[in-house]
Amino acid sequence: MAAAPAPPADREALRPLAWACAAFAGGVLLNCDRVPAWTPATALLLIAWRLTTERSGARLPGTVARALLALAVVAVVLWRFHTLNGLAAGTALLMLMSTLKLLETRARRDQLVMVGAGLFLLLAACLDRQSLARLPLYALQAWLCCSALAVVASAGFGARAALQLAGRALLLALPLAVALFLFFPRLPGAFWAIPRGGEALTGLSDSMSPGSIVKLVADYDPAFRVQFAARAPPAEELYWRGPVLHDFDGHTWRRTSGVFHLRQRLQYLGTPYRYRVALEPTRQRWWFALDTPAQSPDTNVLLTYDNQLLGAEPLTEPISFDVLSYTHTRALEPLGAFGRQQDTALPPGANPRSVGLAQTLRQRAGSDADFVQAILDYLRTGGFVYTLTPEALGADAVDDFVFDTRAGFCGHYASAFVTLMRAAHVPARVVTGYLGGEWNPIGGYFVVRQSDAHAWAEVWLEGRGWTRIDPTAVVAPERLRRGVFDLLPDALATRARLLRGSAWLTGLLQRWDAANAWWSDHVVKFDYSAQLDLLGRFGIRSPDVRYLGWAFTLALLGWLAFIAWHIGRSARPAPPDALARAYARLCHKLARIGPPRAPHQGPLSFAATVTTHRPDLKDSVHALLARYAQLRYGPAAPASRAQDIEEFRRAVARLSLSRAVGGRQ
Amino acid sequence: MPTLAPLPALVRARVHDWMRRRQGPDVLPVRLERRRLYILPTGAGVAFGMLLFLMLLAGLNYGNSLALFLTFLLAAFALVAMQQCHRNLLGIAVIAAHAPAVFARTTGAVHLTLANPASLARAQVEAAMPELAAVAADLPAHERQQLELPLPAPARGLVRIERLRLATVHPFGLFRAWTWVHTPIEMMVYPRPHGSLPMPAHSGHKTGARPRGGSDADEWLGLRPFRDGDSPRQVDWKAYAREAPLLVKEYRPAGSELRLFDFTQLTDPDTEARLSQLARWVVEAEAHGERYGVALPGVLLPPDRGPEHRHRCLAALAVFGSDDGAGHGGGTGAPG
Repeated sequence: MAAAPAPPADREALRPLAWACAAFAGGVLLNCDRVPAWTPATALLLIAWRLTTERSGARLPGTVARALLALAVVAVVLWRFHTLNGLAAGTALLMLMSTLKLLETRARRDQLVMVGAGLFLLLAACLDRQSLARLPLYALQAWLCCSALAVVASAGFGARAALQLAGRALLLALPLAVALFLFFPRLPGAFWAIPRGGEALTGLSDSMSPGSIVKLVADYDPAFRVQFAARAPPAEELYWRGPVLHDFDGHTWRRTSGVFHLRQRLQYLGTPYRYRVALEPTRQRWWFALDTPAQSPDTNVLLTYDNQLLGAEPLTEPISFDVLSYTHTRALEPLGAFGRQQDTALPPGANPRSVGLAQTLRQRAGSDADFVQAILDYLRTGGFVYTLTPEALGADAVDDFVFDTRAGFCGHYASAFVTLMRAAHVPARVVTGYLGGEWNPIGGYFVVRQSDAHAWAEVWLEGRGWTRIDPTAVVAPERLRRGVFDLLPDALATRARLLRGSAWLTGLLQRWDAANAWWSDHVVKFDYSAQLDLLGRFGIRSPDVRYLGWAFTLALLGWLAFIAWHIGRSARPAPPDALARAYARLCHKLARIGPPRAPHQGPLSFAATVTTHRPDLKDSVHALLARYAQLRYGPAAPASRAQDIEEFRRAVARLSLSRAVGGRQ
Repeated sequence: MPTLAPLPALVRARVHDWMRRRQGPDVLPVRLERRRLYILPTGAGVAFGMLLFLMLLAGLNYGNSLALFLTFLLAAFALVAMQQCHRNLLGIAVIAAHAPAVFARTTGAVHLTLANPASLARAQVEAAMPELAAVAADLPAHERQQLELPLPAPARGLVRIERLRLATVHPFGLFRAWTWVHTPIEMMVYPRPHGSLPMPAHSGHKTGARPRGGSDADEWLGLRPFRDGDSPRQVDWKAYAREAPLLVKEYRPAGSELRLFDFTQLTDPDTEARLSQLARWVVEAEAHGERYGVALPGVLLPPDRGPEHRHRCLAALAVFGSDDGAGHGGGTGAPG
């Protein structure tokens, strides 16, 4: 059957295939931004082609062609991804192989495979991204797949009936799903490691070139959210420390890799800030914390010598952690020789004019601190402009910026400032991270967005240690106060300004952000320890996995009982009404004195039977049965009907029949 | 397609025996109660379960909340589907099942009447006889529906169906609920009316058995069971006194014209051909409104007419030579 060309199918015969294709296509679309565009494009094209073939009844490719195609698909995926393991490669493979399955989809089983692939692709999407915004899409896809199951099971279903049926079943399933979600014991730890997707998400990276940060400015996505245990620091102290960059090649700043220094002992000054950071996945290793974190929040996280929090693994899932930070510190130890050398190195021969300027100013200044002030004064009075659309810079990028264009944003200023410092042999380094954050009054937290990305400098000053200097703040003090959006060029800022302009829109956005935060904290990060916390809230003293098992079983049984009752309810026949009950009683009485009423017998026929059997009862019984027939089948008399039925019931109750008379002759 | 198809025949037979013992024989009308409904996942259901298991592993492996929630939602969905599948049969009443007689080499049908006494509309209820294709029907709320299950009639005789299967995979095809209704259904298959011999002329020729009795004028034709409207004077009261069923002595009115189709008068060596010829004469005679009788070795059906008579004649031809035929005379202990 598979090889023969099918006759052109009618609408109903086409329906299961169309639904199976829709379920599969939904899964493909959910994943289309995670795999190279040719994969979903191929899949969708083949789906469209398959549907047209079915309509026209054209021949499908034979077994050999399909086997060759399958091999080709594996080869292409291997060639593009270099692996079959891993989410992206696995997803692409699943998409393409299922698409090939489509080429032989004739039997119901093949269509079921398509629906299964749609569900699996939904799972892949869930594994990849768990944001609240995508939840409706996931729900729709689950709904679509379940409806497709109904249509594949019986083609007679119209779209509406199938959607209704699946929707109702899913709604009934929801309570159990929630209970299972809460109580199904989550085993901590992975038992099969799969490499996670490689492509980086937007966010800070471990290098900074002149244009890199500005790309983030238009990105309104949250990078992390911060909830302070007590008082929050003032806005000008909200520097969120990220990658610290030491190496400069004249164009790009980079982290130094493979260098390990002991962290200097620090004296912490001022108020300690305890807070909780909920970090979105970055696919990078650093954890952002308020400058300067005093201890590592997690055993897997290293607090490095330059005060970065560096995790062991790239972050692929959202995490939350508690940190303690001080906004002011003092070094208790001198800077080592190696550290000094690392943070005063410049590419030889690059930016000669800047080096000259720095050396001149250093000679005039009495100390390093005076020199820092002199440079800042130079930046303030030299006609420097803060702009997010600077001109392109040449090979000596710092020279071009300091002497020619004099327009740039945080990256340019930090880069130039550190170069000038290092030119005068003052140890300095670039720190990237985020500045500021938007207070969300609904959730009671700060949300720090990608657009808050910032770069500043740190200078080693004898007696004080590493000191934060933000040259951008000198040039554009409003950057600190107002955030970057007010400085954006119109093209980028229209949306942001629009949002800011309306109070209720701002409120709405804050609510949405709070909902996202709640989702991330309570759903996405729900794990074994959260399960135990939940049990504790039910009053269980020392919760462990056994209690989870109990709760799980209890929820399952309770739900099953409810479902059996709820679903079985409509299958029961309607209870007999008063008239039927009275009639049943009459028949029961008559059955004691003669042959019972046969199932097919109506009341009048039964009356005839009774009369032949017991002629003595002719009047009383016949009248009653005739009365019943009239009440049941006669013309309705709504006004007195209830009363008539009651009278009939009484008459039946009064009827007493003696067994003695008659009998078979 | 049957649920137990993958099992070896012996196991299947055992399972059916067990079900039959468990349920006992059914007397229609039968309401499908909980304890007689069976349910198992279909192939699709098993595959769905394996998919869920994989999803659970993936969700646990990544500690991914959303994937786990999806898995749990689909698992709960499958449980709902199971309940819905089960209730799609629950409470249905099997009102009647009978198979009208047909001629050999045609396809007969079992007429199955199902009733849905509940307010829930039932969809895709399949009814099938063992080893035969199923027929599906929807049963709207509070309605009756008659299904015709095709039953091939290759040769004459009595086709006996021991049980009927009602099944459903509605609504999602993940589960199949089914039940067996153990109600014997018999379909009489008449011999195929065939043959080119002319109908025997009107005659009063002799029959093999001719006991004495009866009035002089009338020819005594035999005994037949009592029917409404028979005169009490014709009843064989002596036999009744011997606790035999109520029988009626039948006579051919003197002088009336009739045809008697006699098996022994035919010369064709093939029994089936002779029976076919007799069947054809019966059909034609009935169509012409004539009175006719059939004489078979050991069986005599005195001349009469009407659909009931036609059926009696054709049925006698159908079961001729079989155990049922011998039992027709009463005495070999055929089931009542």
